[in-house]
Parts: sequence; structure tokens; C-alpha cells
Amino acid sequence: MISLRGVSLIYPNGVHALDNVTLEIAKGDFVFLVGHSGTGKSSLMRLLYREAHPTSGEITVDGIRVDRLRSGRVPALRRHLGVVFQDFKLLSDKTVWENVAFAMQVTGAHTKAVMRQVPRSLDLVGLSHKSRMYPNELSGGEQQRTAIARALVNNPKILLCDEPTGNLDPSNTTEIMELLLRINLKGTTVVVATHNQAVVDRMRRRVVRLEDGRIVTDEERGYYYLGLGQGQVLSG
Amino acid sequence: MDWGKVKFFLGEVLRNFTRNAGMQATAIGTVAITIVLLGVFLFVRGELTGLGTQLLDQIEISAYLSTDATPAQIASLRRLLAQDPRVVSVDFIPKKQGLAELRDRTKGAIDTSTLTENPLPDKLRVRVRVPDQVPAVAASVRRLSGVDNVVYGQTIVARLLQLGDVLRRVGIAVILVFFAVAGIIISNTIRLTVFARRREIAIMQLVGATNTYIRMPFICEGMLDGVVGALLAVGLLAAARATLWPRMVEALPWVAFNTTPVDVGAIAAELLLVGAAIGVVASWISVGRHLRT
Repeated sequence: MISLRGVSLIYPNGVHALDNVTLEIAKGDFVFLVGHSGTGKSSLMRLLYREAHPTSGEITVDGIRVDRLRSGRVPALRRHLGVVFQDFKLLSDKTVWENVAFAMQVTGAHTKAVMRQVPRSLDLVGLSHKSRMYPNELSGGEQQRTAIARALVNNPKILLCDEPTGNLDPSNTTEIMELLLRINLKGTTVVVATHNQAVVDRMRRRVVRLEDGRIVTDEERGYYYLGLGQGQVLSG
Repeated sequence: MDWGKVKFFLGEVLRNFTRNAGMQATAIGTVAITIVLLGVFLFVRGELTGLGTQLLDQIEISAYLSTDATPAQIASLRRLLAQDPRVVSVDFIPKKQGLAELRDRTKGAIDTSTLTENPLPDKLRVRVRVPDQVPAVAASVRRLSGVDNVVYGQTIVARLLQLGDVLRRVGIAVILVFFAVAGIIISNTIRLTVFARRREIAIMQLVGATNTYIRMPFICEGMLDGVVGALLAVGLLAAARATLWPRMVEALPWVAFNTTPVDVGAIAAELLLVGAAIGVVASWISVGRHLRT
């Protein structure tokens, strides 16, 4: 579903964000990308939805060669992807319903499809009863669930989450992670970049660890730190 | 027709338009001023060229014939000139009629009764289709045998033609400057709305909206600026024509104003189109800058 081969990314300011990264993610996988801030997690995500362009290497997402994609085709790629961020990126002057519908309306979806899909998506994240509220009337967790509903409304095969729980307290974090798991169980490939150790250690999923732009470990059912169980926290 | 889509789209445009009221008012005002100036300018130019054309239309070429020209020669000259596509009419004025006309024109200032002999030669009066062609036709008439001298308002024709030319050039320059100013102000207004909506644009790009779709509401907004400004201008111009114009005609009786009624609807439509065009072009440019990645 997602494939990176020898991908490097050097920003115009000379920073080497990614260095010869090779990674395969199969359909239906749930993958954590972990590592300290600035190790290239976000850069890798940005490459997948073509916000950034690799300096070298091949990137394939859902059969689309992203590294060769013309800018005119980028919208088509993004309709196959759902993306969720730490800061939710909701529109404060639109209700929950309107925020979710927005993703369909601006891609030219028919009103009938909007009326069918939006309630379905809101139901999935458990926000049907708050569809008329505005983002600032919601908790952080509910705002993130709105963002997830928006990311899912176009039925993407892949959901990319960049620090989805970075702004949330532990209980909201748990809520969001359970939701992502549910989405994954329905067959959506989920990639989560995070440095939330508790989340990673509790979930026991595939963990890809980045350090200085390189993949250093890639474990099925891994922990945040290599070979460490929950509770064994390294200081610093 | 998917009315839900239309409603959503128009809602977005309207929200944009009302969000930045102060800036929109500035843009609309500038367009209005630009188009009022444009309208006044076009009007003044129209009047001046109208006056010029009136004068030019009265211009005729007098080809004085040599005294020894035979009637057959005169007839062939007339035929030859009548065949020229630039010539509207050729009239033969015998010297007797010429003298009568002179007497009429000078209203008795010249006492022709003291003349023992008619000093005027016979002449051909040639009218030309387009004023610009007068000098050329005059020159070719002068070359014909049997023609002694050719007279037309040489200096006034040259002056009027030159004046028309200068007016055209200045007019185009002035209009271009007006357009540039209005365009820049609309473009800045749109840039502000683009900036105010940068989050929305980012989200649209993220969920896969095409650049054309993202651009559309801003283009409509710019067009709305242009059209509303132009409507204001057309209203002002129409009011000015209805109230000031009759007074001006009255106050300046010696000016031969072109009083034929103008097609106000057509002019208004043109000005509206101009306004819309300024708006579309200006907003297209300023959104394009933002979308380039």
C-alpha cells in the first residue's frame, strides 16, 4: 500500500531530513513512526501526501508513484488519503457537520453523497449528537475526532496521523487511539507518527523507529524503546 | 443541477465578500472612480471627435480648372474622379455659380456688381468618403491635366487629424493607468482575503481540492468587486448625464454638442464588462501567487 525505496529528503536550507529510507507498509497495517522531534517523522508523512518532494528515491502510495507525480495530479492522490494533525486544522466558523462536509464539497462531491457520507463518518467517530456544535465548544478529543471524521469522509484507504494526540490529555489520547484502531480493523491502513511512549507501548503494534532521518529499528508488535516493556522508562 | 453544490459555493463567495467589508469598499470605490473617469473620458473624447468629424465632413476639395479646358476634357475628368472609390461625389460648378456662391457666402461684403468680368475659373467640387484621405485625393487630383489648382482646408485638415491622433494616444495611456490602479487595488483586496482564508485553503489542498476549485470563489469575489464598482459608476454617470448635461448644453450654446441620444444600455454593459474583467484578472493573479507550490 505504501512503499519507500532509498528515499532521501534534503531541504533547501541544507538539512538532511531523511537519508536513504526504505519502508514497506502493507494494506491494512497499523504502523507507529516513532523518534524524537526532528528525526524525520513528519517529513516522511509529508512525502506521502506530497507536501514535500523527495530529493531522491521512489515513493509509491496506493499504486501512485508519488515521487513522479505532476502537481496537477496531487489532488487526486490526496483524495485517496486521510490526513490528521496535532492541531486538528478545523475551521472555527463552521460546525462539526460543516467541517466534515467541507472535505467533500470542495472536491466537487454531489450533495446526495455528502448527505449520505457525513452522517456515516460522524457516527463512526461517535459525534453524531454534536454535529451542530462549533469546534470551540468541543473538547480536544472531540475536535480531533471531528478531524478524523473529515479525514475519513472520502473513504480513503490510508489514514496518516501526524502526532494525533500531541495536544490531548491521557484519557482523550486513549479515546483517539481506540478510534484509530477501530478504523484500522475496518481495513484502513493507518500510519501514526508519535512520540507518545505510553500509547505505543500499550498498543503493541508495528513500530518503525527513526533517528536522524534513518530507520534504525522496525519491529512487529514493538515498544517505543527497543526491547523495553511498559514501565521501564529510560531517564532523559 | 445539484442545487446543494451551488448553494455551498455561493455561500462561500458571500462569506468571503462580507468578511472584509472595509477592504471590499475600498476596492469597489476605486473601481467606481476608475470607471467614472473612464466614462467621462470616453464621453469627452466622443464629443471632441464628434466636433472634429463634423468639421471634417464639411471639407471639400475644390479643383479649379484651367481656363482652356474643353467641355470634353471636363466630362472625362468628372468620369475619372467619379470612378475613384474614395470619392463620394463630384459636382461641376461653372464660374457663374461659383460667383453666386461667393456672393452668398460673404453676404454682400464683396460687391460683385462692380466686376466687369467674372474672375473665377470653373471648378469641380469633390467630396471624399473618409477625412483621412482628403490630402491624398487632393494630391492625385492636382496631377490631372486640365486642373489648374487644388484647394482644401489644408491646415485645418492636418490639425484635426493630428488632434484626433493625439487624443487617441493620450486616451489609451490614461485608460491603461486607470486600469492598472484599479487592478492593483483589487488584487491587494483579494490577497487580504486569501490571507484571511489561508487555513481554509490549506485544508482544501489537503483534502484534494483542485487549484481551479480553490481559485473560483476568489475570482468570483474579484468579479463582484468589479461589477459592483462598475454599477456604482454607471449610476453616477447616468445621473450626471440626466442632470448636468442639459445644463451644460444650455450654458455653452456656441459649442455644437453632439446631441444625438447615445445608447446608454450598451455603454453601461460595456463598462460593467470592463469592471468584471478588471476584477477577474486582478484576483486570478493574486490567488495564483498563493497557490504556486
